[in-house]
Amino acid sequence: MTNTVFWQTIADYNRMSWPVQVLLVLAGIVLTWRLYRRPAPGVRRVMKYYLALLNGWIAVGYYLVACDARSYNGVMALFWGVMAAVWIYDDVVGYTTFERTRRHDRFALLLCLMPFIYPLFSLLRGLHFPLMTSPVMPCSVALYTIGLLLAFSKRVNLFVILFLCHWALIGLSKVYFFGIPEDLLLAGALVPAIYLFFKEYIDLHFRSDTKPDRRVMRLLLAAMCAGLGLFFVVTIWRQAAALA
Amino acid sequence: MKTQAELKAIARFVAEYATRLMGSGVHTSRVVRNTKRLGEALGVRVIVSAFQRVVNFSVFDDESGEVYSEVVDIPPLPISFELNAELSALSWEAYDRRLSLEEIEARYREIIARPRIDPLFTLVVVGLANAAFCRLFGGDWFAMSIVFTATLLGFFLKQGMQNRGFNHYVVFIASSFVASMYASVALTFDTTSDIAIATSVLYLIPGVPLINGVIDIVEGHVLNGIARLTSALMLIVCIAIGLSATLMIVKSGLL
Amino acid sequence: MMWLEILSDGFFAAVAAIGFGAISDPPMRAFPSIALLAAIGHALRFVLMQWGMDIASASLCASVVIGVGSLLLGGRIRCPMTVLFIPALLPMIPGMYAYRTVFSMIMFMKTLDDPTLGAEYLQAIVRNGFITFSVIFMLAAGAAAPIFLFNKRAHSLTRDKKYLRK
Repeated sequence: MTNTVFWQTIADYNRMSWPVQVLLVLAGIVLTWRLYRRPAPGVRRVMKYYLALLNGWIAVGYYLVACDARSYNGVMALFWGVMAAVWIYDDVVGYTTFERTRRHDRFALLLCLMPFIYPLFSLLRGLHFPLMTSPVMPCSVALYTIGLLLAFSKRVNLFVILFLCHWALIGLSKVYFFGIPEDLLLAGALVPAIYLFFKEYIDLHFRSDTKPDRRVMRLLLAAMCAGLGLFFVVTIWRQAAALA
Repeated sequence: MKTQAELKAIARFVAEYATRLMGSGVHTSRVVRNTKRLGEALGVRVIVSAFQRVVNFSVFDDESGEVYSEVVDIPPLPISFELNAELSALSWEAYDRRLSLEEIEARYREIIARPRIDPLFTLVVVGLANAAFCRLFGGDWFAMSIVFTATLLGFFLKQGMQNRGFNHYVVFIASSFVASMYASVALTFDTTSDIAIATSVLYLIPGVPLINGVIDIVEGHVLNGIARLTSALMLIVCIAIGLSATLMIVKSGLL
Repeated sequence: MMWLEILSDGFFAAVAAIGFGAISDPPMRAFPSIALLAAIGHALRFVLMQWGMDIASASLCASVVIGVGSLLLGGRIRCPMTVLFIPALLPMIPGMYAYRTVFSMIMFMKTLDDPTLGAEYLQAIVRNGFITFSVIFMLAAGAAAPIFLFNKRAHSLTRDKKYLRK
């Protein structure tokens, strides 16, 4: 798959589906607002189904239909389809509670706004509609999900976090292979988000008498985040060197 | 001189000790040796024959000539090297200090009540380990990073399924399929994707039973060794099934 | 450059040993020794294979070194030899050959109507399968060798010397 095919599919997707995208974005804004202001149990459930719908749309609308020209699009569709299924499963067993912690509010808000920063970034790079990134694309959806989970991080589904981490690495590889620097936003946002998620878990679950104790866990977390950060920085640096 | 009741109490504890060791993945000759040592500390002679699923043993009191025999099931426990180390040390301590049965049992309860290693710690280090493994097999940095997160996803699934008590083989097939499937995105990029897919399932390889099996064979417990190797082989076949499902999907372009 | 490669090989082997070892719940105090043994063993195998030794003999040498090392280190932290050397051997398990065996099996079944390709895959199955088996055997047998040579010491690593009966 070449660079041109990659961008061509994005343009086709935007041209075909912008009304659906607008609807999804509006629904997202309304739901997020309701969840922030008056988080009734019903809103929480609707939010899960909205996320399932969003992920399902990425799987079917984006990967299966619009990206048919790309190779391995079926595998990507499978991933996002699984994510949609995970959200439905989550609602059935009632795992994620969407309870607000207010500890990382500003960072979470920034991440939730990221889907709009994506197209802005594209415009700044001198791209035009439809050949640009839009708010309802895999990476912007991933960022939005991270932001949402970070704002309501009382009890989160670790599988979702791990998948988004996986996705961010793929996104970073796309920066490298297909020249889409917008995805640097995802990679850059991911490391601090992962750090915050794990930190919260560690503070909650580890004491001095657990095996291993809290100090070791913090060291491990720091090492992991430093490793990921180093990997990102080196990739970006190589990318910049290739451009120059 | 032991009364029949004393002998029975000793046998009960020895049974629990031996099955706990066997269940925690200790190789057979060490189980036999530790159990005999423990018996000697309590003033009896123990003869053990351990199999894959049951332990068969007799406790002799040489002074009175009393014998007490029992057959006990081995519970399916997770492998634990910590128990291996601590329970071996307990047998030496009992032997050297001539501890009474009550003291030994109290120490034993204290040792098995200790917490196991935390699942999150295992999750993260297994991810790092598999990424490092990918490097050892010649994968580049992208392959490593993809293997890292694919392993996290696969191993997380394995932990979750094991907690919910799924069948062993189902767990292995599912997690090898998931890990290799998530690693298969490497195919979209110009990277060492074959190595990434191949190493993404290697965290599942049952290395401990494999090595224990060979040790058992070398030390003369041939039956046990072959039993261990066979059960490990079954798990490897399960890994292969999960992996080949992925390969058939992505390599023959079914999706 | 060679030194750098050896060092990085040892480093990644140590990380792999810690991770795969952690699945089997070793005591926390054993981790430094496991990492050290794995690094030394794997780096030694790497060097020997660079010098042209085959993978099975190189694995045997490395595993004997790991076995002796676990005998030396085990007494200080009161861990049985197997607790140290099994995790240290895990990074040396030839997973790539095992994968190629399975992959060739699948490909063999898919090319049943092409005898030439089939013969090639059959050869790959036997070749990779045999390498996998012999390396695993060499690893375990080599690491267990010190148990036979230094029987008494190997069996009393977890004994606390302060209680030693006179």
